Amino acid sequence: MPKVKTNRVKYPEGWELIEPTLRELQGKMREAENDPHDGKRKCEALWPIFKIAHQKSRYIYDLYYRRKEISKELFEFCLDQGYADRNIIAKWKKPGYERLCCLRCIQPRDHNFQTTCVCRVPKHLREEKVIECVHCGCKGCASGD
Amino acid sequence: MAHRVLRDVEADGWERSDFPIICESCLGDNPYIRMTKENYGAECKICTRPFTVFMWRPGRDARYKKTEICQTCSKLKNVCQVCVLDLEYGLPVQVRDTALSISSHDSIPKSDVNREYFAEEHDRRARAGLDYESSYGKVRPNDTLLKLQRTTPYYQRNRAHICSFYIRGECTRGAECPYRHEMPVTGELSQQNIKDRYYGINDPVALKLLNKAGDMPALEPPDDESIRTLYVGGLDARISEQDLRDEFYSHGEIESIKMVVQKACAFVTYTTREGAEKAAAELSNKLVVKGLRLKLMWGRPQAAKLDGETGLSAAHSGLLPRAVISHQQYQDVPPPGTSTSQDQQLPPHMQYFNIPPPPPQYERTFYPSMDPQRMGAAIPNQEGGGSGGSTENKGDPGLQYAAYPPPPLPPHGGDQYYQQYYAPPPYGYMQPPPEQSYQQYPSTVPPTAPTDEQA
Repeated sequence: MPKVKTNRVKYPEGWELIEPTLRELQGKMREAENDPHDGKRKCEALWPIFKIAHQKSRYIYDLYYRRKEISKELFEFCLDQGYADRNIIAKWKKPGYERLCCLRCIQPRDHNFQTTCVCRVPKHLREEKVIECVHCGCKGCASGD
Repeated sequence: MAHRVLRDVEADGWERSDFPIICESCLGDNPYIRMTKENYGAECKICTRPFTVFMWRPGRDARYKKTEICQTCSKLKNVCQVCVLDLEYGLPVQVRDTALSISSHDSIPKSDVNREYFAEEHDRRARAGLDYESSYGKVRPNDTLLKLQRTTPYYQRNRAHICSFYIRGECTRGAECPYRHEMPVTGELSQQNIKDRYYGINDPVALKLLNKAGDMPALEPPDDESIRTLYVGGLDARISEQDLRDEFYSHGEIESIKMVVQKACAFVTYTTREGAEKAAAELSNKLVVKGLRLKLMWGRPQAAKLDGETGLSAAHSGLLPRAVISHQQYQDVPPPGTSTSQDQQLPPHMQYFNIPPPPPQYERTFYPSMDPQRMGAAIPNQEGGGSGGSTENKGDPGLQYAAYPPPPLPPHGGDQYYQQYYAPPPYGYMQPPPEQSYQQYPSTVPPTAPTDEQA
């Protein structure tokens, strides 16, 4: 009896155009996951992961909302397949969050004084000019910067 | 630890508090700070019992600071919970105890069980309202403490720690690194630890401070008995002449106070040498006005400078008027003994030989109570209409001290006393009515001269 393939994925049109980039990013992610964290600070260990996840989501978001080069079908497909994070894309659509680095940085409950992360503070309002936020290593993601 | 949670924490001696006991330096310069509080967040570094840890950032250039010892330990020694320095003086325990001769060595046990028992017992008494017997804060601060204590908070202490990676040359964070990129200062002061600081034994900082206190020299009164002036340095705009007067008048009658704003100093002249000596002895090294530590030294005569400038001619001109001086004035009011003797012999070593003799000020010393302005009377500016004869007495002492840049003096020459510049008194004393009989100033000027002066 022949095997019945149940998990066959049907790729929407235009997938072949974005596939190489997504594969490349996935490869980078795999590399980052296996990277040893010797010599890194505790909080630094996850920064590359956050960075690549952000890049992937940003790629899909730009293609659909900015350059309008992919169909809604393909966009939904990428979100469903986990190539992009729909929650952070939802934030990017809002004014003031256009450049948001990660979702942890805007979670007031994760912060001591019920605020957002220091990377959300515009550069001209900040005392420290050079920062790297503890959550994702962001160097500043306020909209005006 | 599970059994701990089930029990009453208070009975276990765990400390819970609502506000930290900290000194001003540790609190930082910003009046608006955010503090976090964690109940039973750490163990006290002295008694090792859990206590409530507060954490805050004292200012923009500061690191985060947190309380290190529990409030019970802090109260026992009257020290800051963070820096373990005395709350009142900001000095190490050892310095304070030595200076006030308190011996608290034996009162606090150092062995583990005993220490914990002692702290708990102390807590219990405090809760029952029997406060511990503390003499801290009631003792009159003694001289050593006054000499050593800081008058302003010392925020340097709050700076970030030195980057340990930088010391090894491995710091890769560059400008982002929140730690200081400096090499540590080595020396005996680098060997500090919190327990020695708290118990007041072998504290290198304390030893240094105590040495410093021992080394501080007392002010030696100068040999020249005619010096009655003290130099006060390190002033700033906040300190007015009245502040100085308030500080100095209790040691003797003040003849005049000259403030030199440009040089941030002042000269306080007493009417008597004893007053000046007393003030120098009692105020040296611990003169603090409005929270500002001032430097106190003896004034120096101006002689050296003027010697070079005017040389013999000045001496001559100084002598000349006195020879010509109208005799009846001296008969009416005999000048100070020095000036008469000076007349006859002119000792070459005399420091003030080129200075007009001190006018007989003792005859009309002005007490503060004689000044109508003190009671609010409005006095018109006397500058134009005032009499040269009275202002000259006030303006005179300033001439004696070299460090004081006098108001634009006329060139000292043969006609030194012909055209004397009379500075108006800088302070608000009302000038006495012009009395010509007191016009003591040796003057070769014909009677018409004073009008020239005033013009």
